[in-house]
Amino acid sequence: MLMTGFDHTPRKATPFQVAKAVLSAFIGIRKRAAHEHDTVTISPVQAIIAGIIGAAIFVSSLILLVRFITG
Amino acid sequence: MDAAHAHGYGHGDHAHHPSGILRWIQTTNHKDIGTLYLWFSFSMFLVGGVLALMLRVELFQPGLQVWRPEFFNQLTTMHGLIMVFGAIMPAFVGFANWQIPMMIGAPDMAFARMNNWSFWLLPPAAILLVVSFFVPGGATAAGWTVYAPLSTQMGPGMDLAIFALHIMGASSIMGSINIITTILNMRAPGMTLMKMPLFVWTWLITAYLLIAVMPVLAGAITMILTDRHFGTNFFNAAGGGDPVMFQHIFWFFGHPEVYIMILPAFGIVSQIVPTFARKPLFGYSSMVYATSSIAILSFIVWAHHMFTVGMPATAQLFFMYATMLIAVPTGVKVFNWIATMWKGSMTFETPMLFACGFIFVFSMGGFTGLVLAITPVDIQLQDTYYVVAHFHYVLVAGSLFAIFGGVYYWIPKWTGYMYDETLGKWHFWLSMIFFNITFFPMHFSGLAGMPRRIPDYALQFADFNMISTVGAFGFGLSQLIFLWVVIKCIRGGQKAADQTWEGAEGLEWTLPSPAPYHTFETPPVVK
Repeated sequence: MLMTGFDHTPRKATPFQVAKAVLSAFIGIRKRAAHEHDTVTISPVQAIIAGIIGAAIFVSSLILLVRFITG
Repeated sequence: MDAAHAHGYGHGDHAHHPSGILRWIQTTNHKDIGTLYLWFSFSMFLVGGVLALMLRVELFQPGLQVWRPEFFNQLTTMHGLIMVFGAIMPAFVGFANWQIPMMIGAPDMAFARMNNWSFWLLPPAAILLVVSFFVPGGATAAGWTVYAPLSTQMGPGMDLAIFALHIMGASSIMGSINIITTILNMRAPGMTLMKMPLFVWTWLITAYLLIAVMPVLAGAITMILTDRHFGTNFFNAAGGGDPVMFQHIFWFFGHPEVYIMILPAFGIVSQIVPTFARKPLFGYSSMVYATSSIAILSFIVWAHHMFTVGMPATAQLFFMYATMLIAVPTGVKVFNWIATMWKGSMTFETPMLFACGFIFVFSMGGFTGLVLAITPVDIQLQDTYYVVAHFHYVLVAGSLFAIFGGVYYWIPKWTGYMYDETLGKWHFWLSMIFFNITFFPMHFSGLAGMPRRIPDYALQFADFNMISTVGAFGFGLSQLIFLWVVIKCIRGGQKAADQTWEGAEGLEWTLPSPAPYHTFETPPVVK
């Protein structure tokens, strides 16, 4: 297993952890240790679903912002 | 990264391949196919380069001296198409073929026969493009973006270009499927995703981008084809179609395409900088995340290419903000490269020179991109030479310099010989200087209002254009040095060590130089 400090049998990530990982991907900054933890706890399906939700939230908040400015 | 492998590469490594021309036609070996891709790409680079010099000859002075305006438009179009689809993209696939199996400890690409087919689709496509100059009406002159209604009106040259793009698209999709499957399924034991070299990561993400957008391009040009010959009206306003829809569809492909051409370059630079700074890459996982971030954002910014066609203010603001946000992950990358160099014991062999040149000049192209992202500024600068300067800063000093850097970095592993360092340095410095002489003045002529894709121009732009043309010929001729360095290196020279670069890490450096025909038939164990 990868590191000490984390469980040897990785638990499934909570939605909050997945959201944090996806948010980090959007900004492009992530601690290596946190990322290595992500790779063992987050399943690809979780990452894809969270990514799609994250992109939808991102696009809709941008739309809201520009509506607010132009409205 | 440590690798243990129990091979005796030195003795008894039989290269089981046919000799002569059949070796290259029938090959399923990733190294042979990588070589084919790289040579194909370099020949297309020379063809596209000659077209560029033909453009610059006409632009040396105001007035029409050398070419008819229709032919000038064909030259601009074919220069773009050949450089994008014939030179830059195949070069990166060539690197992927050579390097990815060696970097992840795989014996070959996942689909070796499909790999052969992916490559051999390219020469027919290139022939179609070049031959199109000689059909009635000449080559397509609609620009590399093949905007309707120009593209729905031209002669058979347009049909040849559409067919060529379809073939190249199919080749890219097959190449991407191969790369993804190889990376996900054929890594050596112990090579987890987060231990993969960054070049492999950037190609994994690029391959997904390619699979997502090449079908969109195929759809767009198929609609043009049916508009031209089968009575449809997708882009014909008179028949109820919409020419602006073409631009949306094209740029939904075209913007991710920009990142397809730069992400593998980021990967190459991320291999070179740590080697010559003799430090591990700073912020490895940030680099991975930043790459995926850029890939995601690339899908929601396409309309910044079309601010002037008319769209609601809300849409203009949306695309402007989304575009400017790309500066964040890109900034993360530039920061990480510089942080990698920080307090490193750096040396400046040719690969490192190209990597540093890349970071410096690519950043300038990135900044002019931010300028162009601002809608009101873009409306002023749309279709001027400022845009030409911007995208040549990111594509020539970005993609092309990274390709050169990558060749100098890995060619000792490919050929078994060191390249000529003095000539390499000459190549770098002449390229760097002449590149800036060519393209820096274009910022000024663009800001002053000189339109792109026009063979004639007003007198006030004369000096800038003369400088650009002189620079272009210098840049073009400097590339002959590169050709000579490569040929010289293939023919012999100082023997390259297995660990060619003292600071280099990665499985490819555990192999002998030159890399044997078959490598990692028994996977190495990565600790």
